Amino acid sequence: MNEKFHRSFDSLQQIFDFTERFYSAESIDPRHRFAVNFAIEELFTNMVKYNAGNPHRVLIEMEQLDGELVAHLTDFDVDPFDVTVEREVDTESPLQDRQIGGLGLHLIPKMIDSIDYDYDEPARRSRITFTKALR
Amino acid sequence: MLDIDFADAGVVMLKGRLDASQSEKAQTFLDGLDQASVLDFSNLEYISSAGLGVLLRTQKRLMASGGGLKLINVNNHIMDVFRFSGFDHIFEVQGAVDP
Repeated sequence: MNEKFHRSFDSLQQIFDFTERFYSAESIDPRHRFAVNFAIEELFTNMVKYNAGNPHRVLIEMEQLDGELVAHLTDFDVDPFDVTVEREVDTESPLQDRQIGGLGLHLIPKMIDSIDYDYDEPARRSRITFTKALR
Repeated sequence: MLDIDFADAGVVMLKGRLDASQSEKAQTFLDGLDQASVLDFSNLEYISSAGLGVLLRTQKRLMASGGGLKLINVNNHIMDVFRFSGFDHIFEVQGAVDP
């Protein structure tokens, strides 16, 4: 199942409607849905924030394969940004020292099972693939 | 969608999804709090990092004036997010009781 979404936070409701259609069609256990929605929102909103003026829509594809849910997010005409590079985020300091922001990409690997990033330089296309085991 | 409003005894009830498209609405409401407050998450299905930012910003402001947020009836998925982000150390958090 796949669909393209306008680069806006306002697309989130349509995205969650899309994921719900996929979960229903593929009978995905409800306990996996929060984590997948979380990863998709964080990756999509990252694309929105850092390429706000880009007119291209973001392609989201989802499939069930060999006991895993596999999701791809593809962004067109963008500079490379490898979301799999580990970024230091402080999750232990006292309240007054905590920074607002940066948590999203830090949390994704804790919610899902694998994440890969691919950049096609001639096409200027970023493609993120993540998996969630459906055990 | 997110609904946020006062319920009995000044408890703030949240219902729906606290995602990036709803964080401004939540922030506007929580900016109106001026004392220690209880947020009831029993009908909050989902939160993303945008929602965490709203909670953190509010907690910093209220703690600076001696208040703070207590988060109650938090579902297991949201509790996981709190643990992974260390929010369980900077908020008073009470999980939902399984039926």
